[in-house]
Amino acid sequence: MVNQQAALNTLFHALADPTRRAVISRLLKGAAPVTRLAAPFDMGLPAFLKHLAVLETSGLIRSEKQGRVRTCHIDADRLAAAEGWLGEQRAIWQSRTDRLAAFVESQTAEEKNP
Amino acid sequence: MTTDTELTISRLIAAPPSAVWEAWSIPANLEKWWIPAPIACRVDTLDLRPGGGFVTRMREGDGDWQPHIDGCFLEAVPEQRLVFTTVLTEGWQPADPWLAVTAILTFEARDGGTLYSARVLHKNPEDSAKHDEMGFQEGWGTAIGQLAALIER
Repeated sequence: MVNQQAALNTLFHALADPTRRAVISRLLKGAAPVTRLAAPFDMGLPAFLKHLAVLETSGLIRSEKQGRVRTCHIDADRLAAAEGWLGEQRAIWQSRTDRLAAFVESQTAEEKNP
Repeated sequence: MTTDTELTISRLIAAPPSAVWEAWSIPANLEKWWIPAPIACRVDTLDLRPGGGFVTRMREGDGDWQPHIDGCFLEAVPEQRLVFTTVLTEGWQPADPWLAVTAILTFEARDGGTLYSARVLHKNPEDSAKHDEMGFQEGWGTAIGQLAALIER
């Protein structure tokens, strides 16, 4: 579980930056070379490559170099893990509400049929 | 409607708001449903007023009592509405919780029962796991099965 938590931290740290989220949004439309990914952003290539490194470390994106061109693409499984976190929070509250209902309804039934 | 930082859950409970409030406001009752069995829950502070503390702890088997929630009530209207947050502790003391949430709970009388709704607001998912001392993610999804046993009595 600790490992899973650490992985989630890395993941959400990667998603916590607007530039990195924009890169993810772009890559969801399809793979793209680094130079084209960097084009919309008003920053130097070294700064942009740092963002890409964070994304690669988190496992959200992968890249392959062919000749002089490095192409990036999304790792869908890692993105699903991020989505899964909120789903998990939801499940916690859902089951808590179910238990509350069961408890309250059983108390009420006892009062009616002592 | 669930956004990427907000969860909403609602459910019709076949009992009046007064009964739901009793389940919430009496520590011995809250302990019975706040955390799924077999994890035990202990209510340390349940001070239902704005600024009042809300502290629950949890324990697996015969282990040590672990932190669960250490928060603060922002609003408490008997039989109607309850709001608490983990971003503050008792007396509105700012805190740095392992999971920042504000929970807005409403109890509406509806057809002889109660429409129970929870809105849970999160800062954003990325601060979800500052402290991993709590096995929070484990065994939480199992509660619904145990629930049936409780209902069918």
